[in-house]
Amino acid sequence: MTAAADTTGMGDAATQAVVMRGITKRFPGVVALADVTLEVRRGELHAICGENGAGKSTLMKILSGVYQPDEGDLEIGGRPVQFTGTRDAEQAGVAIIHQELALVEDLSVAANVFLGREKRTTLGLLDDRGMHDECGRLLESLECPVSPATRTGSLRVGDQQLVEIAKALSLEASIVVMDEPTSALTESESARLERTIKRLLAAGTTILYISHKMDEVFRLADRITVLRDGRHVRTVDRADTNPRQITGWMVGRDLADHDVRQDRTRGPTLLEVRGLTLPWPDHPRGYRLSDVSFDLHAGEILGVAGLMGAGRTELLETIFGAGELIWSGEIRLDGKPVRFRHPREACDARIAMVTEDRKRLGLFPDLDVAGNVSLCSLSEALRGGLLSRRREEGLVTGPIRDTGVKTPGPHAAITGLSGGNQQKCIISRWLLTKPAILLLDDPTRGIDVGAKAELYALIDRLCRDGLGVILTSSELPELLTLADRIIVLAEGRLTAELSRAEATEQKIMEAATGG
Amino acid sequence: MPQSDASHRPSFLLRPGEWALVLAIALAIGLTALADANHSYWFRPLESVRDIARNTALLGIFALGATVVIIAGGIDLSAGSMIALSSTVCATTMLALAPAQMMGFKPVGAIAVIVGCAASLLVGFLVGTLHAWLITSVRLPPFIATLATLVGLRSFARALCESSTAALTPTKSALINISDPFFKTVRDNVWIPVAVFGLLAIVTWLLLTRTVLGRHLHALGGNEQAARLAGIRTDNVKWFAYCFGAMTAALAGLFYMANESVAAPVNQGRGHELNAIAAAVVGGCSLAGGVGTVPGTVLGTIFLRVVIDAVSKIIKTGADVYEGLIVGIVVVIAVTLAQVGQLAKGGRQLLPGALGLCAIPTLAVLCGAIVSMTAGGRTGIAAGIGAAVFLGLLRLWESRRTA
Repeated sequence: MTAAADTTGMGDAATQAVVMRGITKRFPGVVALADVTLEVRRGELHAICGENGAGKSTLMKILSGVYQPDEGDLEIGGRPVQFTGTRDAEQAGVAIIHQELALVEDLSVAANVFLGREKRTTLGLLDDRGMHDECGRLLESLECPVSPATRTGSLRVGDQQLVEIAKALSLEASIVVMDEPTSALTESESARLERTIKRLLAAGTTILYISHKMDEVFRLADRITVLRDGRHVRTVDRADTNPRQITGWMVGRDLADHDVRQDRTRGPTLLEVRGLTLPWPDHPRGYRLSDVSFDLHAGEILGVAGLMGAGRTELLETIFGAGELIWSGEIRLDGKPVRFRHPREACDARIAMVTEDRKRLGLFPDLDVAGNVSLCSLSEALRGGLLSRRREEGLVTGPIRDTGVKTPGPHAAITGLSGGNQQKCIISRWLLTKPAILLLDDPTRGIDVGAKAELYALIDRLCRDGLGVILTSSELPELLTLADRIIVLAEGRLTAELSRAEATEQKIMEAATGG
Repeated sequence: MPQSDASHRPSFLLRPGEWALVLAIALAIGLTALADANHSYWFRPLESVRDIARNTALLGIFALGATVVIIAGGIDLSAGSMIALSSTVCATTMLALAPAQMMGFKPVGAIAVIVGCAASLLVGFLVGTLHAWLITSVRLPPFIATLATLVGLRSFARALCESSTAALTPTKSALINISDPFFKTVRDNVWIPVAVFGLLAIVTWLLLTRTVLGRHLHALGGNEQAARLAGIRTDNVKWFAYCFGAMTAALAGLFYMANESVAAPVNQGRGHELNAIAAAVVGGCSLAGGVGTVPGTVLGTIFLRVVIDAVSKIIKTGADVYEGLIVGIVVVIAVTLAQVGQLAKGGRQLLPGALGLCAIPTLAVLCGAIVSMTAGGRTGIAAGIGAAVFLGLLRLWESRRTA
């Protein structure tokens, strides 16, 4: 077969390493991918760009057999394929290096590289020496100075990533998918990875490369595909475009029709954060947050923008006293310095936090709707020292109605509600505690468009009632719709503070990627 | 929508699974009444009731403790050893306060009895605190922490017994006899442990369903991280759960001591922790946490004891040999039946692939061996073959359905 000889023959089976046609993937409540078509030429590095939630990772998980598409066809090397699992994809020559590495930490490097495909001696025993030697050769070719016998968990993230690449090489994969490979690497590790990538390309491997970092994309990619909201925006040659244009396509959608922010009045300062620094042990960066300072006023919504891993959640958790690590700097509440060691203390100081991962950090699947809503204010449902079911129902009826939860009744199972209604239940839970400050961590993630609009109206109303709201979001239009001010975090540092008038998606994206 | 609201209300008094347990208990009693060659349920009903009631009450007391710990998302493997330690502490305390009376088999006096019992409960509190500290501060998994005390406490109780008898009596001993009339009264009046069990069940039920702490226990077991982020001091809730577990075991230990008129740290309560966990699981507790009820555990305990009693009535000799086997089988069947609906809906197979193929002879041999040991060789072989045929047909049906 000729490798990438013909660069103009779009659709020519011999030059296409991967063809994904009309891929649609739905998850409960969201369409992650809608009719996406992607063609990747043999031997090219094809970068895939998009905001958080644009569908990049989902598309790559379909290519590597992790997910099965609801609709659409997949062709590898011109042959139609159907993967029922990652093993099928590996056999077809597709290997993926996930954003969260999937290594067994307690096994040696060599054991990980050959996991599930162990070499055997003629007697059927494990051929440890053979695996050790071959793994050593692979690692050497990757400039990775670790011994194949090392326990994988003791390696630095950068080296672990190379172990994953060694695994891909041992599969003799002709197509390698890398999902944000440099997000956890130092500069020298990134440089080493780039050299490896160039070597793979020279050997004829096709690489699909997800990244937020424009400089990387423009150094490495042959072509770039932009996804937005689960749809394919366009695919271009690197030479024909520039980073500005790509970020423009990544965010370029119509803003919400109505601006809900008009005539809100800003009250006194509630919260002052000064020089907040949160360490990150065992990570090359060394910190999750570094020297972050800002104010929050009553009756305003402060937006926090940033890419995955920029430190948005850590910032809110630190304020709320939910983090485990000891931070430095100063947090003042109503002018008095505070340091919460447990969320309870933050609740008592009238701070409330709606967590990012609703299912993992917010919901109690064994409690019903009423139980989920009343949890933080059960003392108001007591009669004679015992919980009264009737009082509890009375307590939750108001907030359930005000936030517009659609539920068959307070006894309904919380797991039966839609994502948007579950989120309203959790907001109701916190409203019952009568907070002065509301921290909302990506509150509309995984929620459909209609419910989003209702949540926007609710958040706006709460703000008008005098609450100070800090809102993080991975969707820029959401921040631009709701926030009075936006601060931008990039890799733990505050890189911009923009007023409502000056904030644009372009400016935020530049601050979030350029930091 | 009032109609659909009503459909979500908890069903009348008991949940469906609990009604099924009531039915199973009635069935087991009925079967025993018919199958027992001596017809002891007909001719000596009071004696049978007394027997079952005592055993149920003693197991039930610390099964309630296990329930609270399991609902909070933990596990306490140390209850059996706690029973031994509790009886030893009580006996040792009484021996220290009134050595002459204890050795002369005379009444030791109300003060010694009260102090002895209080000491046991206090030790229960201390053990619970130790568990909570190991789990929340040292961050040991609950299984490891209570496994350590399961082995450690029994050994500690024996050492305590031997060193205190060495110091206070002429001879070192691994057991202390109890002859105070208070404990004899407790032994001879079944209604006392039953009343204590009933009262404790009501208190625990109120605790779990009608108090803030109970709601927090459910929340902790259902989703620990979310509970912490909702401002619940999860470490304190765990502290309570493990203290409740250990103190109910300590209370049960006092009854076991009274019942056997001896504090015997080597054997007392050995293996009972698993019976308590089994009772809770049969009663509907999920070891994943967050799920479980007091009525369920009470019924689970009754069911376990009724089945054990049934087997001992039907098989005359060496019935206690089969106790562990019965508990094991009952737990497996109860939990399997609880997910029958899922099995049918999800298209999951009970006997899939090579594993399922090997499971068929395994289960058939097990079934045949048990039956041949209890009912004679020929019946056993027939039962084994019957089981193999049934399972073979089940597998055939399953593979047809999925294909």
